[in-house]
Amino acid sequence: MAMDDNNALLKVFANGPLEVSGSFRVVNFAGKIIVNEGPVYLCRCGGSSNKPFCDGTHKSNGFPD
Amino acid sequence: MGDPRNRQYTNGEITVFWIPSKCIHATTCFRELIEVFNPGRRPWVNMEGAPTRRISEVVNKCPTQAIIWKHNSDLTSEELASQRHITKNEENPETITENITQPEKPEIVENSTRVKPANIRIMKDGPIVVEGKFKVIGADNRELKPTQMTSFCRCGDSRSMPYCDGTHRKVGFTD
Repeated sequence: MAMDDNNALLKVFANGPLEVSGSFRVVNFAGKIIVNEGPVYLCRCGGSSNKPFCDGTHKSNGFPD
Repeated sequence: MGDPRNRQYTNGEITVFWIPSKCIHATTCFRELIEVFNPGRRPWVNMEGAPTRRISEVVNKCPTQAIIWKHNSDLTSEELASQRHITKNEENPETITENITQPEKPEIVENSTRVKPANIRIMKDGPIVVEGKFKVIGADNRELKPTQMTSFCRCGDSRSMPYCDGTHRKVGFTD
């Protein structure tokens, strides 16, 4: 196992996305599991065209923390 | 004394206390009982919207005790005093200011009692709500305060990054 079985790890990237790894699942607002294997990168800037995932838009919209 | 933003609401039988500083916008209250907890309304809590038992049941589900309840017979004299004060002044909770349309209700995917992966819920036009066993590493590479549940900003405009502070409603963030 790469890490503790029962723990998810969420890492905040400065001026960037939230990286999620470990043991987790991401559930969309319809209640569906959309991903359960990491790492995945969730948009924090509000600008991604591929929400809830990051598409790199934070670099061009000047997202500051 | 407490935070001046704190509020209390009663139906004559029980009193619900609202402590906005503890709210992480998990949205449990209004997903479960919009008839009582409606952030789009003023006052946002309508104690006549459901029977006492239902209200206390939903209040008990608040993950952070931002809402709690007490039987009116258990209120302290201080609490009674501020109750009279509140009825004269229309409250205006700061962190919950805009309309919520149809509140979504994500299904609980599995039996919640067994050990399971951290549940990361994407709230429609709202934050990322994380529950379960997880660790958070901040932008400075240091571990942030451990919690059992928290919500991360997705709109980019929170003033308490990386956490949600409800700003998504003010800025009209949409998915």
